[in-house]
Amino acid sequence: MHELYIAECIMKSVAASLPGDVPSDSVREVRVQVGQLDAVIPDTLIFVFDAIKGKSGLPNANLSVEQIDVKCRCRACTHEFGIELPVFVCPQCGGGDVEVLHGRGILLTGITVENEEAKEDGNSDHS
Amino acid sequence: MEIPIIRDVLEESNLRAQENRALFDKHGVFAVNIMSSPGSGKTTLLQKTIPALKERGFSCAVIEGDITSTIDSERLQPLGVPVVQANTEPFGGDCHLGSHLVQAALKHLDLSAIDFLFIENIGNLVCPAEFYLGENRRVVVLSLPEGEDKPLKYPLMFRECSVCLLNKMDLAPHLEVDVERIKSNIRKTNGQIAILPMSAKTGEGIDQWIAWLLRARNGPR
Repeated sequence: MHELYIAECIMKSVAASLPGDVPSDSVREVRVQVGQLDAVIPDTLIFVFDAIKGKSGLPNANLSVEQIDVKCRCRACTHEFGIELPVFVCPQCGGGDVEVLHGRGILLTGITVENEEAKEDGNSDHS
Repeated sequence: MEIPIIRDVLEESNLRAQENRALFDKHGVFAVNIMSSPGSGKTTLLQKTIPALKERGFSCAVIEGDITSTIDSERLQPLGVPVVQANTEPFGGDCHLGSHLVQAALKHLDLSAIDFLFIENIGNLVCPAEFYLGENRRVVVLSLPEGEDKPLKYPLMFRECSVCLLNKMDLAPHLEVDVERIKSNIRKTNGQIAILPMSAKTGEGIDQWIAWLLRARNGPR
């Protein structure tokens, strides 16, 4: 289960990405994209994120995970194709020299923070 | 307020890995990350590989990854090469070696005296594939008793590796396993991967594995 380590990496990425004047406890949502090839289970990632967020300085943050399908390109005939089964063979020419265009890697894509005005107004409804 | 970002979550991990790689390059170390399921024969492979390389005049060292215990390190002690144990238990019991752990282990090695550094990753076909450690090559060991379906169940591992060592070939007559189907499934996940059938126990196929290592070390890193 590498979700715990990845959740810790997400926390560090958020901390490194927050503007200096934005307190980490104002973070409400953290958005990530996870490639299907990475074998990360979104529910597990959210579960461990919630388990450690209090200690990691993001007590009010929820994690939103978007899974990205795998898309490939054949290096022989340049045909681009998506895959559902883990078979990296070009459906057009049968070649096995295939590069993955997307669907691999974990990206932090955005953060939502509570704005100061909302705090001052006592508006705590972020649903 | 929305803050749009595009940032690789593993940025810090990859940075540590690049630092490791810079150290390998500086000292002429060829680092090989060996991955597999538990029990597929990684340690036995090293028990055969290291003497074969020593015979040819190469010096070796091992970073031995385990969640807990020093059992594998103890098995390698008689080989007389530096072995650094890297346990992940103090770091939360991670099921893979991280680049920071490898970096910590490197401090215990005299890299200028090492030709081949073997990083025996934690037995697991899922997580280790995800994390770059700074290695020159990635190797997956798949043993026959694990069955034909494993490459299709753990495609990232087979996509990430340059070579698959098909281990425990000596068991083939005793198993209902279709070796050609295993090879075909490996190639479905990665058409470029080299497949080397072998038995670390009997020594069958070790020579072609050593030849592969020497070619890889002498070629573009």
